[in-house]
Formats: sequence, structure tokens, C-alpha cells
Amino acid sequence: MYLYPFTYCTPTTVEEALALLQVHPDGKVLAGGQSLIPMMGLGLARPDALIDINGVPGLARVADDGDGLRIGALTRHRTLETDPIIRRRCPILAEAAAVIGNIRVRHRGTLGGSLAHADPAAELPLVMTALGATLEVRAPEASREVAAEKFFLGYLQTDLAPTELLTGVRIPAAEAGTGYGLAELVRRAGDFAIVAACAVVSLDGARRCTRASLALGGVGPNPVRFPSAESQLVGRTLTDQRIEAAAEAVATEVHPESDMHASAAYRRAMARVMARRAMATAAARAATHLTGGG
Amino acid sequence: MHAPETEGRRPLAFSLNGHPVEVWASPHETLLAVLRDTLGATEVKYGCGEGVCGTCTILLDDAPVNACLLLALQAHGRSVTTVRGLRSAEGLHPLQRAFLEREAAQCGFCTPGMLLVAYAFLREHPAPTRAQIRTALAGNLCRCTGYTRIVDAVESCAAVPARSERDDP
Amino acid sequence: MRIVGKALPRFDVADKVEGATLYAADWSLPGMLAGRILRSIYPVARIRRIDATRARGLPGVAAVLTAEDVPCNATHEDATGTNRAPFATPVLAADRVCYQGQPLALVAAASDVQARAAVEAIDVDYEPLPGVFDIEAALAPDALRVHPDRDNVLIHWRLRQGDLDEGFRRADAVVERTYRTQRVDHAYLEPEAGVAWVDDNGIVTVRAATQVIEHFREIAEILGLPHNRVRVIAPFLGGGFGGKEDMTVEPYVALLAWKTRQPVRMVWSRQESLLARPKRHPLLMRCRTGATRNGELVAQEMTLLGDAGPFPLLSPRVLFAALVVGVGPYRVPHVSIDAKAVFTNNVPTSAMRGFGAMQVTFAYESQMDLLAERLGIPPLEFRARNFLRKGDRLPTGEALETHVALPEVCRAAVEALGERSRPSRTSARVGRGFACNIQPYGRTVWFRDQAGAWIGFEADGSLVIRAGVTDLGGGQAAVLAQIASEELGVSLDRVAVHIGDSARTPLTGGTFATRQLYMSGNAVWQAARELRAAVAPVAAGLLEAAETDLQFADDQVRVAGSPDRRIALARVIAECGRRGVSTAQLSVFRGEQAPPVDLETGQGKTFPDYTFGCHAVEVEVDTETGTVTLLKHAACHDVGRAINPQSVAGQIQGGAVMGIGQALLEEITLEEGNNLTTLFANYLIPTALDVPDVQPIAVESGEGKGPFHARGIGEPPTGPPPPAIASAVYDAVGVRPLDLPIAPEGVFTALEARGRGAGGTTPEVT
Repeated sequence: MYLYPFTYCTPTTVEEALALLQVHPDGKVLAGGQSLIPMMGLGLARPDALIDINGVPGLARVADDGDGLRIGALTRHRTLETDPIIRRRCPILAEAAAVIGNIRVRHRGTLGGSLAHADPAAELPLVMTALGATLEVRAPEASREVAAEKFFLGYLQTDLAPTELLTGVRIPAAEAGTGYGLAELVRRAGDFAIVAACAVVSLDGARRCTRASLALGGVGPNPVRFPSAESQLVGRTLTDQRIEAAAEAVATEVHPESDMHASAAYRRAMARVMARRAMATAAARAATHLTGGG
Repeated sequence: MHAPETEGRRPLAFSLNGHPVEVWASPHETLLAVLRDTLGATEVKYGCGEGVCGTCTILLDDAPVNACLLLALQAHGRSVTTVRGLRSAEGLHPLQRAFLEREAAQCGFCTPGMLLVAYAFLREHPAPTRAQIRTALAGNLCRCTGYTRIVDAVESCAAVPARSERDDP
Repeated sequence: MRIVGKALPRFDVADKVEGATLYAADWSLPGMLAGRILRSIYPVARIRRIDATRARGLPGVAAVLTAEDVPCNATHEDATGTNRAPFATPVLAADRVCYQGQPLALVAAASDVQARAAVEAIDVDYEPLPGVFDIEAALAPDALRVHPDRDNVLIHWRLRQGDLDEGFRRADAVVERTYRTQRVDHAYLEPEAGVAWVDDNGIVTVRAATQVIEHFREIAEILGLPHNRVRVIAPFLGGGFGGKEDMTVEPYVALLAWKTRQPVRMVWSRQESLLARPKRHPLLMRCRTGATRNGELVAQEMTLLGDAGPFPLLSPRVLFAALVVGVGPYRVPHVSIDAKAVFTNNVPTSAMRGFGAMQVTFAYESQMDLLAERLGIPPLEFRARNFLRKGDRLPTGEALETHVALPEVCRAAVEALGERSRPSRTSARVGRGFACNIQPYGRTVWFRDQAGAWIGFEADGSLVIRAGVTDLGGGQAAVLAQIASEELGVSLDRVAVHIGDSARTPLTGGTFATRQLYMSGNAVWQAARELRAAVAPVAAGLLEAAETDLQFADDQVRVAGSPDRRIALARVIAECGRRGVSTAQLSVFRGEQAPPVDLETGQGKTFPDYTFGCHAVEVEVDTETGTVTLLKHAACHDVGRAINPQSVAGQIQGGAVMGIGQALLEEITLEEGNNLTTLFANYLIPTALDVPDVQPIAVESGEGKGPFHARGIGEPPTGPPPPAIASAVYDAVGVRPLDLPIAPEGVFTALEARGRGAGGTTPEVT
């Protein structure tokens, strides 16, 4: 419960925050603090400065601009879980946020913080990858956008430079007959997943799949998309056999490592099970939307 | 207990259980440390420092959060409620009374945090099912009771109106 | 009875719901320093040099202590009480370390941040060395020695009864298996903590979260002081479970306070506690069990190997308890058990709720299920044919002196499950299982256990109890008030209990071994009866009635049958004062005593008595992932008499959930002596979503050696959950776990093996 001294900055604008990141190259952004503060308390991180962005207005908006959802990086997990716009337009995000950690963590933890921290088994990086989201990054001289799929680069490593700030996320609008599925293997509710899969499926009027997106977490240092599995689904009706075959394709492609939580063989087997469950749920929900139910 | 580290100390003012407090705090002091060591609010516990156990739960403007993962200075201008803030002029909060009558506390170390999370939960969900109560409490660990009595106590308080506005300033 | 047997609110819970209880870390004194330990980063190493020069020079640092600063750097252990395995354990490591996390040096500084900086500034020159990290490797003939002066067997207990070969000759079915239980942590919510100071009389005072205030003696020896110069105070604990039974912070915080002459507070971090705090013994249990075709157990052969870490602590006694009840609550004529505590360089192991008897439950109940299946006899019936009864002898040769309610508790537990649940998904299967257990309560009888209690009336008729019990959360203090209130008629809210102070309260012995109700409960009951007997003649005189007609109740003394003839207790007390009759009583209750068991055969009297129970569970197994979900759990124990039924039920529920955690979730993983499980996020104890409502059923046989014929209930509920759950998993999906925890990967792998048609035997989950 005791941290080492650091320089503490409380910027009130994004520009100020960016300027401070330049002044303090060994500093870290403090958003929710639910990952950073424990690491500092344990001596695993010793930033000499914390740039607390909780006082920067405008970073926690949730908006549906017709083209998709825009969510500010400082949006708390609890908001993702409960916001009516998100629940209506992107319910998988609410579903994923609801199983992050515990209620206390969710009241402080932020979308941006989770994405920038990039834990391999975290829900939000996985879901953003499956959704084909775009991350908005601000640098002192410029802004840029990065596809979620290209943002996560290694164990706890992202494309974010030390002088950059993640300011928001854009999730493209989904078609009418779209369904989502999230399947996690956890030892206890709220724990980091051993393996997790997130699927997005869109069906046309003839119940043919027009879009399939499948991402898995916990099978490597970052969430991974599976275009080979996805291509087995697009343009076809989604029978149990096809979904199972796609899940098998996933199992052959993953190369997880063994660690104290699970062996590589088990992770591979569970990749298949979770992939299938996520795709089946997504397909079932998509079908329900088509018929106007659910 | 602290050596006088005057550099970096800033004024910190917030409301603690309805009363205004003003102290000096360094940026690296967590809210948990300031509550316990500076303000004597030892009812807020240290259990893990990871945000996992729930013994440091406080309400920050009505939201349950981990005091061990907040910098004290982040509470500036906010309201902080500990378990001592549940009691009213009339006496124990119904949740506290229910915990006492049903022996929903054995060693009691998880109890302050558990009560606050339950309190915040019932404010949002006045008539929950037992399953919903278990989900709400899943982030607060208990090693003594096995949870059933705690769920019983919370359930017995369901549909009790949320605590009315305080009668103190 | 008016008070005993009632679910009355406990006085300590009233403080706890208000957050008013001052636990060990909540105590503050002016000028208090922060204490911290420097711990070894290697499991095994020679310490070439420790240089504290830099650390001593840092701002705010009041003291840095190493081994040479400790007046007597050893605690002398004789855990068996028979001087079989004496050992001197260092307080601070001097020239070598034997486990990762072993204390090397102590720091006291003005703030915790400064203490931490000073610890990091101590330079240690380590020479890492190879070590022994596996019991079987430690037992190999050419094994590396953990301690240069002795081999790796800390102790070897033997239990021999009858003729094993004869037994197996008579057996029609023999089952042989090896079971493993894992290393588990107490994971109390309150980390280890304490404050020490030298008081104004020069008494070194330690106020620490401890189960045993009697450690003042060891602290005094370490400081080189007479015993009467050290005082230990135990506040209410935030959980103990055996983890605060050995000393934790006490010697360190006492040393720092004594050296600096300032108050010192030490609070271990959770991660430090997970790293280095002694754990529950992992047991390797090889069992060979034989029965006749009509279901009579005839032979039980077991080898129990416990990983004792590098220091004895309570390992000898844990393995002894496992030995005594190794065959379970059954009659077996031919028994041979060898129980060994083995030194390794893994994290030390010591007491944890259940204490050896808990782990063997997994072995003997699994064997019973396997045999029942082999013989084609229903498991409940097979057990019933072999249950011990009052008067039967345990394999140690001692006769059971109290009622054995096993048939009844089994029936109650199994029936409580009600209708079978439906699986929640197509890939899931539902299964049921049950398991019985026997758990000792009270200390081994050659320890000459005793407990003292003082009870006194105030002039106004209110009552004071002084007893050195420690309250871990199980109501150890409140129950004393209930007993005294019942006996002396003082209303419960007029009874004040002072506990846990080695200088101010009579010593009762620590809270462990499920002994506290038996010992201090009896001491208070005895003192109360003696006090009543002293005061009764005075009351009889005032009321002009016979002593035998007096009733003590509601703060009055009344004459039975004559509601008008009554007098306030306060008046009786005043009259006692006038007549010089003492209104206080100090009483010492002595537990059963007997000489130690025969060391070659284990024959003799061991524990005063036992608690018997049965848990029945229903699980759902997801065959696609191996995940086991507990759907229903009924836990039934014969408690003799429930002094406070609510507290008894709470112990049953809490103990069962601790057992469930060991069955399904918890594990401290070590790799070559390096502890990989040092984050609370990775040590998985059950949350409210991981367990169903455990239905506690307390049967009251009216026979037990505690006050009012109660039996101990703290430890017994931890044993049955793992075998009951293993049995239910087998019922659901046909694979039988032999190792704990029953993790999804193990179940999944066993199911896959069976799916691939691996052999004709039931695949076992290892």
C-alpha cells in the first residue's frame, strides 16, 4: 500500500498531457490505475512521473455518430457495462466489460488503460480486435489511427510510443443481422481468461454469412484474428458442422505456450471449444436479429 | 508514522462520511494509506494491494472502489464513504443489523468492504435475486463464512429503501 | 437452558459490522517505526556476506539487524513433545538460507517507504546452491541433504496393528492407489501484522495477530530475557486457520522494538505472505486397502509422505495426526501406516485447519469408493458395515469413548441433496458423491494440556471473564460469555470478556487443534460452576431456601417454583462482600493426560476425542472443458451440543468452503523451490460465485468432551469436500481424480484418454 515517490502531474487538456509525456519520458499515464498502481506497489514498475489524465475533460464520451460508435479512452468499464448506447449498438462490449475483474476495478478501470496495458488474456483487447475497431492516438504534432489488429505487438507491448496518448476507439457500425459471441474459459468469474474467443457474425436475408470475425485471446502474447476460419464461413449458411470445422481450423493454427495456468495442449483444445461456442452464439444471435426477435 | 517529507506534499480536502477533512498528502500516498495513517480510519483495511480482495473498499462519490489503488490526491474534492458512514442518527444501517443478527461476519475483516459493496448494490438493485447478490459480491473475498450468511443478510434487506439523505452537514 | 443453545448475536460481531474492531495493524503508538524483513531471493544459497552499511546510512533508518544482532538466534523446537526430533531454527539466517523468502535481516525506519528503501540497500552476496525440491528425491539413498548434520527424514511415525499379511490373505478385493494433495495457503483476509514496544516498566510488549500468546516464552528466549519480561497481546484476528499458530511477525518486531526502544509496526504484504508463510503440507499417500467379499475391511497399508520444507515447525504433529486417523472412521483389524515428514528446500509447511487429518480424508474415502465399486456394494452400505462405534478401538488401540453418529450424519447429508439437478448444457453431466471423516479435537494427550480462566462478579452483579484465548473469528471469546451467562444467570450484555493477554489473563493455550472450546470452554464452565457453588450458600441464606432449589437467571437468584422469592445478584454479591465470601474464581481445566504412544507401533492414547461428519455434494462437469461446478453441498457433523447454533453452522459452512477451495481451485506452485504463486490474483480462493449455499446440518448427540458435552467443530468440515467432489466427478463422467486440486485440465485430459480408449481401467485424473 505504499508507493515510491514520483513527480505527479495533473494536466487539464490533452495537449498538456502530451507535453508532459515529452518532459517525462520515463513517466506513465495514470488513468484507472487498476493495473499500474499494483505494479508500482509490487516494485514491478517504477515510473518517475505519473501523468494523471483523469482531470482531462472530453475523453469519456460515448457517441453513436451513425457511422459507428466512438468511445473515449477514459470511459470506465462500468460505463461500458451499463451505457444504453453501448448496450444497444454493441452489446458484446457491455458483455465483455461486465466480466472484467470485479465491481471496484470496473468503476475505475478504463477502456484506454486496458488497451494500452495489453494483457494477453484481457477481454477488451480481444473484443476490439474482433470488432475491427480503430484506435485513435494523439501525438504532440499529429494524430493517427491504428487498427486494433495492428496495435498489440507483444506481451504487454503496443504500438503506442511513450510520448503518445490513446484518446479513443472507433467501432464501425454493424449491419442489421449481426450477432456477437464471447466465450471464456476462466477458473473463477472475473479472473483473466485462460482462453477466450470473440466472434462477430452477420447474416443476410437468406441466412448466409456476409461477415465473420473471430479473435482469440490467451493463445499467444496478443489477441489473434483467424482469417482462415472466417473464410470458411463467409458466403455460406452456418451449420453446426461448418462452425465446428472452422473451430478445428483455429485449433490447428494456434501455437500457445505452457505456463503455470495451463499447458499448451489444453489451451489448443480449449481454443477450439471457445471458438466454436463464440461462433455458435454469434450465429444464433444473428439469426434472432434477422427474425426481429431478441 | 511518516517521516516529515515536506516536498511534494499538497493540501487534500474531501468529505469523509459526510464531514469535511483537510490534510496534507504526498502524491505517492495511496488513499488507503492516508485514510488509515493520517485520518485514523482504520476500518478501511489492507488485504492485498492488488485490488483483488475488497477489504479496502470505499465509496468514492457512491461508487465502490479500491482505496489501495487510488492516489490520495485523486480524492480531492470528492466524497469518500467508509463503513462508519453507513450508520445514521437512528443507529445501525439495516444491512449492519442484518449482518449482526445472521452472524454474516466471523473474523470481520472482509465485513466493512462487503457492507459497502452490498449497500451500493442495493441502491441500484433494490430487489435482487440471490444469484444477482452473489454476482454483486463476487469481488469481495471472505475466508470464514462461506458467503451464505452474507447473501442471506443482503437478501433480507432487499426492498428496504435506500438510506435517506444524511441529517449531518 | 436459556443462553447455551441459542443463536445469540456475538459481542465481537457488533463491533465488526461497525468497523470498530482494532486488528493488529490498526494499532498505532507515538513515534512508531515501520519494520520490514529482507528475505532471501534464492531457495538455497550460502551467504558470503551481508553488508548493511549503505542501508544504515539512509534517511529515517533507525536500525538494521542481522543474525549477529540477535541475542539467541534460534528457536528450539520439540514439536512432538517427546524430544524425538529436536531442532534449532534460526530467527535470522546467518551463513546459509534453506528456502526462498527466508528472513536475512530486519529494518526499522520512520516510514514504510524508507524501510523499503533500506531493505533494498542491504547488499547480500549469495552463492546459489543446489537444493532438494521433491519428496521422493529427498528420500533417495544418495539424496542431497537439506541439513548437513542429519538426513532428510525429519520424523518417521509408525502405526502397526494386527498382521498385515494375514489381512491381505483374507481380502477378496484389494485396491491400491497413490493420492496427492497440494500445497495450500491459509489466505486469511488479514495479512500477518503486529506492533511491539517496550512499555514503561521495561516489558517488551507485542500486540500481534497470533493464535498463541504463549509464544512470549520463545520471544523472551530469543531476546535473552526472562520469560516474565515479555508480554504478548492478541487482538481479534482477521482469520488464523493455523497460519498464525507459529510465530509470524512476533520475533522480528520484538527484536526491532527492543533494539530501538521505539514502537515498531510490521505488516507483511500479501505477496510476502504467499511467498514465505508456512503452508499446508502436500501429502503423497500410497494406499493399499483390502476387504472381504461381504464388505468387511480387513487390511489397510499406507505410506504418508509430507513435504516439511526445511524447518520442522509443526510438521511432526501434522504427520502424526494423519497417521492416527489414516484409516478413516472405520474398523480395520490389520493396519500398517508409515508417516514421514521429509525435509526439502521448498517453502516451509506447518499447521493449517485440518492438520494432516484433512488430507488423508481424500485418500481413505477414495479407497472406500473404489473398494465398494469393486465389490459391487453401494458405497453408503459398504461404509455402514465398517463404521466405528462407541467402544470400538482405533488402530492405535484406544477405545472410542463417545457416541459415533456416522450412520445418522451420512443419512442426513445425503438426503439433504434433494432432487437431482439437470445439466445446464448438452456437454455437461451431473454427478453426486459423499464422504465421511474423523477429525481429532483437543491436543495430543501427552502434552498435558490445560487452560485457566478467571471469572469475577463486580459489585453491581455484572461479570468479568479473563481468559487468554485468542479469537480468530470463530466466536472463541463470545462463547465463553454464553457459557458463563448460562451458569451464573448474568444476562449476556452484562458479561465482559477480556482475552488474549499473556500478562493479564490466565493462559488457556492457543486456538488450534480444535481445542479451544474443549479447553477454555471447560475452564470457564468449571470456574463458573465453582463460583456459583461459592455464592449459592449466601443466596440460599438470603432467600431462606435450599441451595438445590436456587435458579440463577436474568441477573437474579430465584427459588424454583416460587416466583416471588427472588433477589438481585447485586445484593447477593454485596452480602458476599460483607461475609468475606470470594466473588471471583480462578480455575484450571486439565485435559486428558497419558504417556506418549509407543514409537514403534503407535499404540497408546492419542487425542481426547473425535468429531465425525459427512458431506454430500452434487456437481456438474462440462465434458468439453473439464470444468467442475459445484451445484449442491450438504455438510453434516455431530457437534455433541451446539452452544451457539449459529456459530456452529458458520464454522461448518466456512470450513466446507475452505475444503472446496482445496478441492477445486487452490494451489501454491513451486518450481525448483521458486514460488510462482505470489500474487493474490493467482491464488484462487472461492468467491461468492464459486460455491453454492452449503447446507450446514449439526447433529447433537449429547456426547462430547467439551462444555455441555460439545465437540470441536473448527477443523472437521475441511476434510470431506475433496473426496466428496472427486466421487461426484466420477459419478458424473467416470473419471476419478487422484490428485488435488481437481482442475479442469486434469479432468479434460482424463476424459480424452478414456475417449481414446486408453486401457480397460478407469482413467484417473492426475
